[in-house]
Amino acid sequence: MSFFRSKKMRYYSLVIPRESAWVVMNELARLDQLHFVDYDPQLPMISRPFANYVKRCDDSIFKLSCLEQLLKEFKKNLIYCENVDSLLDYFHQVQYDRMKPGHTYFDELEQEIDQKKIQIQEQSANLQNLLDRVNIITEQKLVLENAKEILGQSVFQQQTPHNVNDYQQLKFGQIIGVIDKEEEVRFKRIIFRVTKGNAWVQIKDLNNQQVDNSMRKSFHLNQNNTSQPRCLFVIVYPGADESSSFRMKLMKVCDSFNRQRIEYPNSMDDMQKKMIELTQQLQEAKNLIEMTKQQLEQSLDGLVLQKQGCNCSYFEYMRLYVLKEKYLYVNLNYLTMRGSIFTGYFWLPEGLELVVEEKLRNAMKNNRDHYPTGQIQELKAYLYTPPTYFNLNEVTMPFQEIVNTYGVPRYQEVNPGLFTIITFPFLFGVMFADIAHGFMLFLCGIYLIFWKKSLQKKTDSMFNQMIPFRYLIILMGFFALYNGFIYNDYLSISLNLFGSCYSPENEEWKKESKDCVYPFGVDPVWQASGSSLNFMNSYKMKLSVILGVIHMLFGILMKGVNTLFFKNYLDFYCEFIPQLLFMICTFGWMDFIIIVKWLNTYENNTDPSIIETMINQVLKPFDEPVNPVFPNDPQFQLRVTQILTLIAVICIPWMLLPKPLILGSKHDNHKVSMSDSQYQPLVMEKQVSESDEDNNQQFQSDLQNAANLKSFSEQNKEEHDSGEIWVHQMIETIEFVLGGISNTASYLRLWALSLAHGQLAEVFYDMCLAGKLDAGGILGGLLGGYFYIVFALLTFGVLMTMDVMECFLHALRLHWVEFQNKFFKADGYLFNGYSYKKILNDNLKQANSK
Amino acid sequence: MDLCVFGVDDGYAEAIIRGLRASFLTEAQYQQMKNCASIPELKSFLEETDYQNCLQADNPQIPTSILRQRLKKKLADEFEYIEAQSTGTLTKYLFHLRCRFMIDNVVNMIEGLKNKIDIEILLSNIDPLGWFPEIKNIKVLEGDDYSSLYRDVLIDTPIGVYFMKFLEETLNDIQNLFREMKPEYIRTSLKKMWLEDFYLFCEQELMPTSQEALLELLKFEADFKTVQVIYNSIGNRDLNTAAKIITTRKQLCPTIGNLYPDCEKLYLQAMTLDALREAVKGCDNYRDLLKDAPDPLKREEFNVQTKTLDDIMYDDECRRYALAFDGQGSYGVFYSYLKLKEQEIRNIIWLAEMISRKLAKNHPGWKKIIIPFSHLGK
Repeated sequence: MSFFRSKKMRYYSLVIPRESAWVVMNELARLDQLHFVDYDPQLPMISRPFANYVKRCDDSIFKLSCLEQLLKEFKKNLIYCENVDSLLDYFHQVQYDRMKPGHTYFDELEQEIDQKKIQIQEQSANLQNLLDRVNIITEQKLVLENAKEILGQSVFQQQTPHNVNDYQQLKFGQIIGVIDKEEEVRFKRIIFRVTKGNAWVQIKDLNNQQVDNSMRKSFHLNQNNTSQPRCLFVIVYPGADESSSFRMKLMKVCDSFNRQRIEYPNSMDDMQKKMIELTQQLQEAKNLIEMTKQQLEQSLDGLVLQKQGCNCSYFEYMRLYVLKEKYLYVNLNYLTMRGSIFTGYFWLPEGLELVVEEKLRNAMKNNRDHYPTGQIQELKAYLYTPPTYFNLNEVTMPFQEIVNTYGVPRYQEVNPGLFTIITFPFLFGVMFADIAHGFMLFLCGIYLIFWKKSLQKKTDSMFNQMIPFRYLIILMGFFALYNGFIYNDYLSISLNLFGSCYSPENEEWKKESKDCVYPFGVDPVWQASGSSLNFMNSYKMKLSVILGVIHMLFGILMKGVNTLFFKNYLDFYCEFIPQLLFMICTFGWMDFIIIVKWLNTYENNTDPSIIETMINQVLKPFDEPVNPVFPNDPQFQLRVTQILTLIAVICIPWMLLPKPLILGSKHDNHKVSMSDSQYQPLVMEKQVSESDEDNNQQFQSDLQNAANLKSFSEQNKEEHDSGEIWVHQMIETIEFVLGGISNTASYLRLWALSLAHGQLAEVFYDMCLAGKLDAGGILGGLLGGYFYIVFALLTFGVLMTMDVMECFLHALRLHWVEFQNKFFKADGYLFNGYSYKKILNDNLKQANSK
Repeated sequence: MDLCVFGVDDGYAEAIIRGLRASFLTEAQYQQMKNCASIPELKSFLEETDYQNCLQADNPQIPTSILRQRLKKKLADEFEYIEAQSTGTLTKYLFHLRCRFMIDNVVNMIEGLKNKIDIEILLSNIDPLGWFPEIKNIKVLEGDDYSSLYRDVLIDTPIGVYFMKFLEETLNDIQNLFREMKPEYIRTSLKKMWLEDFYLFCEQELMPTSQEALLELLKFEADFKTVQVIYNSIGNRDLNTAAKIITTRKQLCPTIGNLYPDCEKLYLQAMTLDALREAVKGCDNYRDLLKDAPDPLKREEFNVQTKTLDDIMYDDECRRYALAFDGQGSYGVFYSYLKLKEQEIRNIIWLAEMISRKLAKNHPGWKKIIIPFSHLGK
């Protein structure tokens, strides 16, 4: 029954000595069944006892992510862990083999990660440096080659004095260097200003990026380099004097642009020498790069390598271990430290106490230093609402998710998730009713279920995201198929599967025999008749109202079950019973006469209108119906409707008045308040059991802590004045009575959507296929093919995706609003088990999707 | 009318800013910061706030100067992002905002170079908000005067205009004076020009709603500057004659704001704090603000505990910016954001200083932070 109601929870306190805190927590995390309660939620994380450890774990994770970046850059493929259980066992094994206290393993790993990070980053920095060096050398080479072209041979000769006959001893100096391409214009301008136009500047692009890329390629390195495009500049200025102020100023300007200047050799020979020298340097640097790269790859390979006995890369192993450790410390922080022991509280599903104790004993056994391990003690949970815990499996998960998205069920209340498993796909099916479309959806579900394993491997597949919902999809498909048969609708065509009861004869339809009934679903002959749409509409409309009323009545019954379970008899008598009566007497009766009308045959146009009957029942309670539903006994009908109307009217004050009155008098007597009175017993219990001396003091302090927690009893303690109760009850009553009408009307969407679906399918069929397939010849064939493609695409795009979505949403609404508002409180909070498995699984997914 | 169309061009940028509102530290967080015992602790605290990413790679024992640089860098990055998302007038407007930081940077560089500080250190200390490519070329200045600096380097830059005006104004003086001129003087007059220019820009190009918000803020800022100038010149030893004081003041006080021109005569001649109070009493709540200001004539007695004029003014400024931040459909929100973030960084740095000096927790200096948006609750 753990899915009908959430599991019973017990509240325990846990006391662990400081020395064995890690061991105990490590053991408990394998259990997956503890929900730790934050001892003091006000306390900032940073001032908790293990904040330091959490921080260290974060640091390590950060370092690892740096390393991961590098791994990706060098295209190393990590082996990701697939099975968390075996990994956890492996962690355990490693711990066991170490023969040292467990928590110290993290210290070792931390050091190792630190070392690895430093080492690898150093290596990669070295590599980068070398690459830069090669870049600079090649750049220099390029500069010299280009400068030679620009300046020409005459520069060297210029060193010798000019002809004496020149009226001025003109000499030129030159500065050569490299700047970033984007600064080209600014550079020119500043030079112009500084020299007042007395210098000649030549700028030429160096294709350094190409060179850089080609070099990286030759070493199989990542090619997205960061180097900026650069330019070579040559300034020629008058006056060759090395120390002239003009030159100094120019130098300063050049320096301020941050790029290196290059000494231009004085003669051809020097030039040659320099070039040879550079080529040599280049070769050396390249050799060095090769070596460094090999070393780096070796270190990285060490990370990728699978560790013995472990099913994933060493890197992944470390990452997951650190994550696990962080999780442990975060949870340990929920405890509080008193002297040398930790105290904390947790929730545990009922009946697991022995298992936890077993674990604790186990921890003691495995603990090398034989420190005493922790103790648990059950406490009475007066102040807290227990978490809502369901044992979910892959089938129930998506349905519970549908419910949880609206609100987590209150602890131990009836879980709508259970009914949703069938009602949700069924209501969807009523709207999506089509044999072919339903079957396609069904096939999709089958595909997801049976090819799950192979689908999971394709991370980019669209189906991958649908895997968790595969059972939902298959059920939705199944019910759409089923309802398609009921409506006899196959892509807007009725199928004549069982042989229609009518056959055409002289342009008339003739019934085969008087008692002939089409065995299942709607007789296909309706499609051939002119009034098919009218008939189907009236049929679907009535069907949806009947389904709706049944659905809502069921919801009200669940309210009754809830009130009985929480022993809230006031609500049972003053809310549940009048609500049930009201619903049955109005819409239940309507359903009844709908069915009676179906079963009877009426003659001479005396068939009754249901709506008219319902309205007259209220407006003209004493007149005999004109067209009675029961043609033989109109008097009987009148009497019944009078009684039913009377009951329904009485129900309204019954819902409104007694509850606030009773609560008001109770309130005066006991000063015990109303509202969520299910928890009254808990509060009472608290007052009684104050005698428990041992725990009393502890509870006093807990009381203070709990004051911050959101809890029901706190709300209960607030004094509700009677006015508030009245308003509340008034709202409830009005909501129910009006809601009864509007919700019933709301179920008409079952008809409306199925109509829309049917009409769309018909339009697509008529426009694309009907008639187009008859044309003969090659052209006709081609056209037919073309129209078929259009038809298929439209059917897929509009009906199989958009309409599925739409019907899904409407089914969702019917559940959330019309069904659940009858009984569902939805103010619980989810059980959050302390489990390594969960945290590691969450992180596995991340790694895979990257 | 402009409220209807504000969102067309500037809605996205505004939305980002509104989102960034959440990144401001709260009073509770300030309280926690005050409880930090050491710089590493402060750093790890900041890592839990919005400043997380900009500090992660640093050594825990981070010097305050680098801390400031990191925080500013984050602000600059955000600002740059918004600038990149803006169009038309907003882009111009945001650029105007950055000019203030550029002026600061240039003046800091000049000052640093004068004091023979290495250019690399100077470059690493510049405010990233006011970075522009020419800044590194200021090095050329070494041994030169300002006019050649302007001619060679600053002429193309956005703040070249202000420099030009400044040079024109001071051209009457002898060239030599330039070199002796205090950088602080340059800074104040350049900022004055920037403020006036920005004011003009807001008046001419912005839509009415933005104008309304911004002009109000800028007027106050101008008044703030005026009061500062007057206040600091009272009893200043460098300005020994009354005439010199008045000319200097006239040069430095902005010609906008609530005080100008009505009270100009009075404040230019105010030689004591009381006279200054008297001069500004006609405007707004300035007299209340000045009431608590310490007497500038007793400057030697000031210490960390003194609540200086600047502190008082910043406090009032913060209130105004917080109000302007909550205004809808105006450019005031960008300006306020920048100012308030600056204040936040100032607060953090101040606290970091206090922590690193290990001052007692009851030291009055701990209270000397102005928390953005704390005025709104009252």
